Amino acid sequence: MNNSLAVVLIASGIAYGTPLLFASLGELLAERSGVLNLGVEGMMLVGAVTGFWTVQRFHAATAVTLLLALVVAAVAGAAMASILAVLVITLRANQIVTGLALTIFAGAAGLSSYLGNDLNLADQPAHHAFQAFLPNSMQNWPIVGPILFGQNPLVYFSWVCVIVIALYLSRTRPGLNLRSVGESPAAADTMGIDVTRYRYVHTLLGGAFAGLGGATITLAITPQWVDGITGGAGWIAIALVIFAFWRPELCLVGAYFFGALQALAPQLQARNITLGPTVLWTNALPYLMTIFVLVVVSSGTARRRLGAPSALGVPYVREEH
Amino acid sequence: MRLRPPVTIEQRLRRPRWLTVAVPVGSVIFAFLVAALVLVATGHDPISTYHQLFDAAFVQRGSLDQTLIAATPLAFTGLAAAAAFRMKLYNIGAEGQMYMGAITGAAAGLYLGGRGGPSPFVIAAMVVAGGLGGMAWGLIPGILRAFFRTSEILTSLLLNYVAGLILTYLIFESESYWRQTKGFNATVFPTGKPLPPSAVWPGLSFNLQGGIVLPLGAGLAVLVAVFLWFLYTRTRFGFEAQVLGDSDRAARYAGIRVRRKILAVMALSGAIAGLGGVSQDGDFRHALDGDPNGLQKQGYGYTGIVVAALGRYNPFAVVVIAFLLGGLQNAGAALQGPSFPSGLVGVIQGIILFSALGGELLIRYRVRIRRPARPGGVAPAQVPETAA
Amino acid sequence: MKRHRLALGVLLLTVLALVFASVGAGAHKASPYKVAWIYVGPHNDGGWSQAHDQGRVYVQKQLGSKVQTTYKENIAVGTQFAQTVASLVAQGYQMIFATSYGYVTPQIAAQYPNVKFEQATGTLVKSNVSEYFGAAEDTVFLSGMAAGAAAKCNTIGYVVAYPIPEVKRHANAFALGAQLTHPGVKVKLVWTNSWFDPSKEKKAAQSLRAAGACVLGQNVDSPATGQYAESIHIPWVGYDSDAAKFAPKSWLTASVYNWGPYYLKRVKAAMAGTWKPGFYYGTINDGFTKLAPYGPGVSLRTKSLIRRYERRIERGSYYEFTGPLYDQKGKLRVKKGVRMQVLKGGTNSLYGMNWLVKGVIGSPSG
Repeated sequence: MNNSLAVVLIASGIAYGTPLLFASLGELLAERSGVLNLGVEGMMLVGAVTGFWTVQRFHAATAVTLLLALVVAAVAGAAMASILAVLVITLRANQIVTGLALTIFAGAAGLSSYLGNDLNLADQPAHHAFQAFLPNSMQNWPIVGPILFGQNPLVYFSWVCVIVIALYLSRTRPGLNLRSVGESPAAADTMGIDVTRYRYVHTLLGGAFAGLGGATITLAITPQWVDGITGGAGWIAIALVIFAFWRPELCLVGAYFFGALQALAPQLQARNITLGPTVLWTNALPYLMTIFVLVVVSSGTARRRLGAPSALGVPYVREEH
Repeated sequence: MRLRPPVTIEQRLRRPRWLTVAVPVGSVIFAFLVAALVLVATGHDPISTYHQLFDAAFVQRGSLDQTLIAATPLAFTGLAAAAAFRMKLYNIGAEGQMYMGAITGAAAGLYLGGRGGPSPFVIAAMVVAGGLGGMAWGLIPGILRAFFRTSEILTSLLLNYVAGLILTYLIFESESYWRQTKGFNATVFPTGKPLPPSAVWPGLSFNLQGGIVLPLGAGLAVLVAVFLWFLYTRTRFGFEAQVLGDSDRAARYAGIRVRRKILAVMALSGAIAGLGGVSQDGDFRHALDGDPNGLQKQGYGYTGIVVAALGRYNPFAVVVIAFLLGGLQNAGAALQGPSFPSGLVGVIQGIILFSALGGELLIRYRVRIRRPARPGGVAPAQVPETAA
Repeated sequence: MKRHRLALGVLLLTVLALVFASVGAGAHKASPYKVAWIYVGPHNDGGWSQAHDQGRVYVQKQLGSKVQTTYKENIAVGTQFAQTVASLVAQGYQMIFATSYGYVTPQIAAQYPNVKFEQATGTLVKSNVSEYFGAAEDTVFLSGMAAGAAAKCNTIGYVVAYPIPEVKRHANAFALGAQLTHPGVKVKLVWTNSWFDPSKEKKAAQSLRAAGACVLGQNVDSPATGQYAESIHIPWVGYDSDAAKFAPKSWLTASVYNWGPYYLKRVKAAMAGTWKPGFYYGTINDGFTKLAPYGPGVSLRTKSLIRRYERRIERGSYYEFTGPLYDQKGKLRVKKGVRMQVLKGGTNSLYGMNWLVKGVIGSPSG
């Protein structure tokens, strides 16, 4: 039963969706403040390589090292985000092109590749990695075993993040202020909210979460470093935010859905389920589904109820409003 | 009331002419300076590195040839991006549109081509087919944007991955029309069917540096640049696109058919990228390249966006910058090695782009430093910038 | 206005270019023989390219100051390869090892008649182009024997990349070896569509496990399958490198390439002027391929059995691709007693093998 397609897909969806979840949570925060961060892929890769470097070089107890690695990855992601923040918030550069530039700068064949190669991080297993820690007996319980108890600590931590962010956005003063910053920065400004500061903080937070998402890959899912290890996850994370109507709890659903889609192709192959040019459409499925979902979500009147921050992508200049 | 910061940024009323030249050039110089710092920090000598760079890009025997080869696809994808970005349609899908153009263009060449020297008819058919292939792929995000208001940024990007899968499938995983099936070598490793001789694109030979060849695609790219410039500056279409880029609402009030424009511009952008794809078939590979370690590893579509951004969407500037960036790509292969990791090339590219993007600010805005208020007196009045 | 800006920019950069071109000495002509290696992936990928780089380092060590070696990594097939060759030739390199199929084309060979090209895994032979590869399938076969012996159930999972003859040949060899030590065992394939993608490989490994595999093997380059095998305590056969450190308990063995001796031989011949193009197919005998050291899960009995077959292959008294060989549908493909050859035989040659042997479960077309 625990090897049935459904259970395996759900369990895989959760495991592989966690990097997507972290990155999309970060992107959600940035976008809520009005900054479209297209550099997520680059930030994830930098987080992945710096987190990995930490566990390889730092010699302490496993828990301490892993915790430190997460901090380092988050800081590295935030550092990358700071470049974006300065360029698009203070210098009013075009957010889309700047985000792409950051991906080129920090991504595969860029800074993350340079760091990984220069620090000799390739071809070695992680000295410490996040692994499922609940007792085997629990992990083998029917259905809930592999799905809920067979996950690594980062998965559980991501659930905490979802709750915290959801509460932050809906029940705290800064969280509510954030909404107005993203909807109408001019109105927020007249209310005395420092738009610039909100945007900076949330863009940096976005980078930090993206870094965590990258570290999830090199410290939990496949505990090694390889150039470009995220393989496009950053872009899916950006789409996820739209799919989730800019709400954290829906980011979770979406992330796991796409995680499961990615695990679908090999699962079908191993079970000899073939339908036409299977290799082609099963590999294309995650991308096609993302497009389909984006279309459904953005068409028609649903859009107005969506929660897309109205000022998303537009630099705020006080004198111009 | 919060104190206003001492340094404010305000929009210029007028953009001085000299600034629009000085800033891009200045930002490139600034970028090279910052990159030099990075090089020093990583233990390389910047002077010799730059020297090597220019040598490998433009000076060495055979380098201009290779730079042109690198620049040709970049010109197409750069023009494709410029055509769309100018109207604030962010077509990130040039990569995938290029693949589709390569597929349709190769099909035309394989079907219509035959013996003999390069045939203008076959080549023209390939160009048309390639453009149509790219256009069709570009219309998908266009339609989704025009009719469903879906962001073209993500749809065009995701379609890149799908196009890559299709391209690999045609050669690596199926016995398709494009795949070479005759001969023993064909069974050993999947390759594309070679284009018949009349479908191979000719080049223009120059007696320079020991013989360089200007690919037909390069000439085609220049023509496209001229066409684009004309379209955007001298036609009503271009004017309307400009208005639409500036203000969606103003365009509607002016009676501009927004949906039609979106479709037209995405079609145009996709078609240009598709031309880049068929140029890869006809000029360089002489077959459809479905190897995942081949065309799909080059990232021409994404670099084209960098080219367009640096050229500030002006078609002629885009062509020049494609040439320069092609030189950088070419030289990057020369520079990298045991002592110069390949990652540094991307880092330097990124720095150049950041500098250019940051420099944008100085063109559009003016940095003003306030003098502190004198005690007991009134702060000096803000003198508005007059048309001086 | 735009023309001014353009002209100014071009002028400035041309001036800069000329300044840099005139400054600085040209490359001084050094006497060591210059050889370059071109890799399709990173030089430290722990797999295909790294093995080639180890061969390069071996040559550099053996020949010392008589030779100057360098490498270029992450070079795409096509125009980027051409650019790389152009710059290498301009810097005085006279011999180039191109380590991926499709790198060397007839055009490039003709463009640089004085440069010696050595192409891995290909078939093009010209006056200045030589081909080299080898019988990794023999050691893959032996590693399959270890997998079969370690299997406590009837299914072995095998993670594969692309449905091309090279990969199918290896999958078949693996299956034949497993069937020798574990008659009736099935080898299930899952295609990842990539030579090196840890995430995809892990997903493939998980899917094989869920479908009943109790041993995992691979013909892809990252150790992700092994890390997963280690985490669920099942045995693992690697590929391309000694990756025991990634899965100390699960590791059985792997087929590894040893390019060094061939490289040394060819560079020496080029330097001595005795280099001739040809088609080299290495074997266990000349050290081209061997098994990586065993892990703790390989029993003494299995080790001695493998050693026996290895010796018989070396002597030529046994060859795993000897008929009768049946394909997945049960059709006889190679008659009894007939040995498959590397190049001759169409789809019944090693290089043209596009079918899978009986006992392999999976689609031969990906």
